[in-house]
Amino acid sequence: MTKFATSTAVAALLIGAIGPAAAQQRVVLQWQTPNLTEAQYEPIWKQTIAAFEAANPNIKIEPILVARRDHWTKFVAAAQARQAPCIVAVDLTTAAAEGYLRPIDDLWDKEPAAFRNAWSDDMLKAARWKGKLYGLPNWGGVYAEIYNRELVVKAGLDPKNPPKNWAEYLQWAKALTGTDHWATSVLGGKTDTTTRVLLTWIYGNGGEPFNADMTESRFAKDPKSLEAIKFYLGLFSDHKVASPAPTTTNYLEQTVLFSQGKIATMRNAYWSVAKVIGDNPQIEGKMFAAPLPAQIPNAPTLATVTAHSISESCRHPEEAWRFIKFDMDKKWAVARAVKANWMPLRRDLADEPEIKADPMLSEFVRIGTNARSYPLPHPAWADIAANDIVDAVQRALLEPARTEQIFQDLDVRLSRKLKDQ
Amino acid sequence: MTATTRPRARAWTGTGLARERWHGYLFLLPVLLFLAAVIVLPLAHAFWTSLHRIRGLRSTFVGLANYFRVLEDDAFWHALKVSLGFVSVSVTLHMLLGLALALALNEIRVARTALRVVFLTPWMVSAAVGATIWLWLLEPQFGVVNYLLRAADIIDRPVAWLGEPGPAFAAVTAVEVWRGVPFVMLLMLAGLQTIPVEQYEAADIDGASTWQRFRWITLPNLKYLIVVASTLDIINVVRHYDIIGIMTAGGPAGATEVLPALLYNTAFRANRFGEAAAIGVLLLAMVLVFSILYLRATRIGRSDGDA
Repeated sequence: MTKFATSTAVAALLIGAIGPAAAQQRVVLQWQTPNLTEAQYEPIWKQTIAAFEAANPNIKIEPILVARRDHWTKFVAAAQARQAPCIVAVDLTTAAAEGYLRPIDDLWDKEPAAFRNAWSDDMLKAARWKGKLYGLPNWGGVYAEIYNRELVVKAGLDPKNPPKNWAEYLQWAKALTGTDHWATSVLGGKTDTTTRVLLTWIYGNGGEPFNADMTESRFAKDPKSLEAIKFYLGLFSDHKVASPAPTTTNYLEQTVLFSQGKIATMRNAYWSVAKVIGDNPQIEGKMFAAPLPAQIPNAPTLATVTAHSISESCRHPEEAWRFIKFDMDKKWAVARAVKANWMPLRRDLADEPEIKADPMLSEFVRIGTNARSYPLPHPAWADIAANDIVDAVQRALLEPARTEQIFQDLDVRLSRKLKDQ
Repeated sequence: MTATTRPRARAWTGTGLARERWHGYLFLLPVLLFLAAVIVLPLAHAFWTSLHRIRGLRSTFVGLANYFRVLEDDAFWHALKVSLGFVSVSVTLHMLLGLALALALNEIRVARTALRVVFLTPWMVSAAVGATIWLWLLEPQFGVVNYLLRAADIIDRPVAWLGEPGPAFAAVTAVEVWRGVPFVMLLMLAGLQTIPVEQYEAADIDGASTWQRFRWITLPNLKYLIVVASTLDIINVVRHYDIIGIMTAGGPAGATEVLPALLYNTAFRANRFGEAAAIGVLLLAMVLVFSILYLRATRIGRSDGDA
């Protein structure tokens, strides 16, 4: 009896110890975004995770660090294996269309109106697919023209009066070009930035590269689009005011050229400012941003929207949503903007004192009030942007005389893809 | 009852042999299971995938439609053409330079080990690291290659090595050659050291020239190795993605889009996994057919008496 009693007591103690421990077992949520590997963002996300875990001791956030170029591949491989990280920032439309993401309307609808009103309908539209919400917009990349003030002044130009249309831009470009330096770069490298910049030129001319329901490509069909493409690529081919080797030039090479003073202006998102200062700290305070020179009044610029989503295979969506909301808090949004150059997408942040105190940031925020979102809502978009459009740009740079034909071929190819979904 | 019968010779037919065979298969079983898990099953799954139209997590059986779609696409034939060019130039240079280096290193007596290590370095560096190093060496504005050429007055403006179709193809091929030569060199060097010295001594007595020694002693002795090395090299190069993926991603304008690059882009850019699997199966079939034909043509695997 004594043995039995002892055994029972030990068993009861064990159950008593294990029971609550099991009940309080930590939920581990993986978090993968391409930005986690960016040096300027690292201190912020580490603070965010630490603060969240302190407030939610039963949830552990495990950041997945993936190089930007491998981000999508790794996510797709994991999603196919039903092992995708719970919290992700990916190409939302494609991922939603492929079934990799979980709609979050049920979680969103439970939130108070004060929280939901922090996002404009336009921003939320960029995170919807077939009427369902698949992510919460977190930060964006508004494209503006960034100038090196010293080089502008050295060329005898007035920084307070940047070019407003293409003719003035070309005039500036010629003044800013010399034997071993150029006004700007034309991008043809094989990443999304090539497409993004091309679209800014098209929007600035009132062009539409696609029809309204994204079933037809109109790069060559729309005269305004074609005119913009020819002018932009002509900066390298005809006017010789762009740096050499455009078919390999991309975001990285462009910012290196800019930070080295090899080019005087670049068309880029706000995050590039941090990259340029990182490459050359002496350039800090010597840059200014301006709206993109355009041919139509009130031309929109382009803005990328990065949304945080919950993957379809996530087993703890409630906890994932709690982290997403925490990360969207004003405090972290402002810290990301000021310290890491990630522009916030909450519309209630423009008047925050820290944002207003930064002239470059507040100018970008102002320019961003008239922006069109990227990517366009179509599942084939990622492939089209990264492959077909870039390929056409490269071909046109190599054979400028065939530009129209190349973009006509592109229209045929893209229209087929858009209808083949 | 003294036994006068001779011990029976062990019979190699009948139940004894059957039992031994069975034991033999049992010993092979772990390896066969391992091969099935890592080769047969993935191959079967890839083939099964190629028969489906896959959209994310949804899948529909479409039979051979993906194959027809791939074969009707100009991109496939373009990639095949680029692959053939890339493989033939790379493998030819691997073999020629690898053999030449092996011959040189076999003769050198000073700092032999150090030189071998130096020449092996490109092979020891991972392909991704090597490609990234060359990506920046060949960078138009800041790359060392253009800097040196400009300093030597060979060029007067930056050359976009990876930005023009011809130079880009040449550049990725050169990097592939840089990385692949040490492997062939190592094989050839091992082969050279197995050639009996007496053969060369006899040739010296007969007054053979250096070329004659090479033509009639070295080459015949290395024949088997050359066939094996070139076959392995072809299989190795034809499936390469890393160098091209990092340096050009298939560009500019498709000039370096080999079949593995097309496969990657089809799967992970266009999200068409069924078609990508079909490209993979076609690539595998081509390599298999080529390897069989090549080995048959070079009579490898037959005994000397059969040759």
